[in-house]
Amino acid sequence: MSTAEAPLSPPGRGLAWVRGESKPFSLAILVLGAASLALAFVGSILVLVAHGITPVDDLIRGLKSNEFFGVNLFAVVGGSIASVLGWGTYRRMGTKVAREQAVAGAVLGIQAAALGAFFMWFSESDVDTFAFQYMRFEVLAGAFGAFVNGAKNTVFLALTAETIGIMFGLVLAVFAISKRAVVRAPARIYINFFRGTPLVWQIIFIGVALPIGLRINIPAYTAAIIALSLNASAYTAEVFRAGIQSVDRGQMEAARSLGMSYLQAMRYSIVPQAFRRVIPPLMNEFVILIKDTSLVLVLGLTASQFELMSVGNNRLENSFNATYLIGTAIGYLAISLPAIRLVNLLEKKLRSGLVGVGA
Amino acid sequence: MIETQSATAPRNTTGPLVELIGIHKWFDTNHVLKGIDLKIDPKQVLVVIGPSGSGKSTLLRSINLLEEPTEGSVIFDGTEITDIRVDLDKVRTDIGMVFQSYNLFPHKNVLGNITLALRKVLKIDEREAKERAIEQLKHVGLEHKADQYPGQLSGGQQQRVAIARALAMRPKVMLFDEVTSALDPELVKEVLDTMKGLADEGMTMVVVTHEMGFAREVGTRLVFMDEGQVVEDGAPREIFANPRDERTQSFLSHVL
Repeated sequence: MSTAEAPLSPPGRGLAWVRGESKPFSLAILVLGAASLALAFVGSILVLVAHGITPVDDLIRGLKSNEFFGVNLFAVVGGSIASVLGWGTYRRMGTKVAREQAVAGAVLGIQAAALGAFFMWFSESDVDTFAFQYMRFEVLAGAFGAFVNGAKNTVFLALTAETIGIMFGLVLAVFAISKRAVVRAPARIYINFFRGTPLVWQIIFIGVALPIGLRINIPAYTAAIIALSLNASAYTAEVFRAGIQSVDRGQMEAARSLGMSYLQAMRYSIVPQAFRRVIPPLMNEFVILIKDTSLVLVLGLTASQFELMSVGNNRLENSFNATYLIGTAIGYLAISLPAIRLVNLLEKKLRSGLVGVGA
Repeated sequence: MIETQSATAPRNTTGPLVELIGIHKWFDTNHVLKGIDLKIDPKQVLVVIGPSGSGKSTLLRSINLLEEPTEGSVIFDGTEITDIRVDLDKVRTDIGMVFQSYNLFPHKNVLGNITLALRKVLKIDEREAKERAIEQLKHVGLEHKADQYPGQLSGGQQQRVAIARALAMRPKVMLFDEVTSALDPELVKEVLDTMKGLADEGMTMVVVTHEMGFAREVGTRLVFMDEGQVVEDGAPREIFANPRDERTQSFLSHVL
C-alpha cells in the first residue's frame, strides 16, 4: 500500500507494509513451518523438562514418553506439509513478501521434519545407554567447582600467553621486515619453526623432553605457559608483520623526511597505525589460543592447575562418563562465544571508521 | 673530513645551498636519472616540469636522499650528504618535504602531526613545540583546526597542514612533490597561495609540479626534464615564451 503523494521520503517498509503485501495462503505456510519447528525444538524440550532433566532416569523416561514421540510426529507431519506447499507455490505468489513467506515456511518445515524425525528415531533407539553416558547432567553439579577453576586456568593461560606473545611478537615482526638479511633471518627462522611444528610437539618438547634430556626441573604449568607463549609469539608476529606492511609507504617517507630515524618512524607512526588495524585479527588469534590451551592436557598438571580440557578428560577417564566432556564444551563456549562476539563488534566498528580516528 | 654537526650549523658558505653532481639512478634495469648536474642557490624557487616518467620526482627525492642515487653526489649546505658517514636524520631536519598524498599521520591530530618531530627529533619541550606549531598553523591559516584529525579535513587543508609540519622544523629548503596533483580543482588554489607566500618570504624551494601558471608566476627558475635528463634550464618566462628544445616545445604545446 505505497502512497503516491509522498515521493520525497523513501517508501515505508514497516510492519504495516509487510502486512499489506502478505497473502493469507503464504502466511499460513510460514506459520505452519515455524510452528512445526517450534514443536520439534521447544516442544521436545518442554516435554523433557516436564519429566525432569536430572536425574538421568527422569530424562530417559521423558525421552521414551509418548508425549515426546507425539510432539515430534506432529512436527514431522506439519513440517512436511509446509515444505510441500511452500515449494509447490512460491513461484506463483503475487508479491515479493508473499514469496519470501512461502520459501521461509518451506525451509522451516524441512528443518522441523528433519529434527522431528531424528528425535523420533532417537527415542526408539538405545536411549538408556546413550543418556547414561552423555546426558547424566547430575554429575556436573558435583564437578562445578572443578570446572570453574578449570575455566580460570584456561583464561589465565590464554591471557598470559597472548600478552607475552604480543610483546615478543611485535619485536619479531619488526625484525622480520628488516631490509637487512642478518636481522631478518633469525626472526623468520623462529616464526617458521613455531608455525611449522605442532603446538602439541612444542608443549611436549618443553614440558617433557627438555626436563628429561637436560635434567632440569621445569614445572608442568611453567612449561605450558612457555610453550603457549613462544607459539603465540610466532603467530602474533605474522599478524603484526601484515599490519605493519599494510601501512602506506608514504607514512615512513613522511616520518623520515622530518628527520626521524627508522626506529622512531616505526614507533611513532607505523606501529601505532598498524596496531589499530590488527586488533581484530589479534583477537581472532586469541580465540584460537583459548582453545589451543587445551593441548597442555598432555602435561601432567596437578588438579588445581587443570584447565577445562584436563578437568573434563580427567573425570572422563576416572568415571567413564562422557557427560564431563559436555561440561568442558559448555565451559569453552562460555568463554569463546563472548570473545567472538567482541571481535565481530570491533570489526564492524573499525570498518565503519568509528575507531581509527582518535589518539 | 665531513663533520655530522655541519648539517645543523648556521650556513657559512656562500655557494649554492644544494648541489647535485652527476646523479644517476637505476631502479633495477630502469635508468631513471641519467647524469643530473644542478646547483640550487638560496632563495631560489626552482620549478621542475616534464612528462610523467621523466624522473622529476626521483630527482626531488634524491635531494633529501629518500631515493639514494646509484651514482653521483649530493651536497647540501656545504656538506656532501651522500657520504655514508653523514647523519642523514640530522640533515633531513633542514630539508622540508611535502608529498602528493599529504602523508599526514592519521592517528595524530593536526597539532600532534606538527609537534611530533619537534619533540622527538629536535627534542624541543612540549610547550615550545606547541607554540611553534600554532605559529606555523597561523602561517597556513589553519590555527582553528589544531585539534582536528586529518580525516576530518579537506585535501587542501591536509596539504596545508603538511606544509606547516615541514615548516615547523625551520628547514633551509622546501621540496614539493606534485603537491596539488591529488587535490580537487577547487582546492588547488589555497595550497598554491600558501606556497606563493612562502616564496615571497624568501624560502628556497624546489617544486615539482604540473601547474604551469604557478611555474610562470612564482618560479624564479625552470627546469624541464625528459627521460632522466635536464633538457632545458632557465628563466620560466623565457622558456614558456620560446622553448629552445624540440621536446620542451612539444610538451608545452600539450599542457598550455
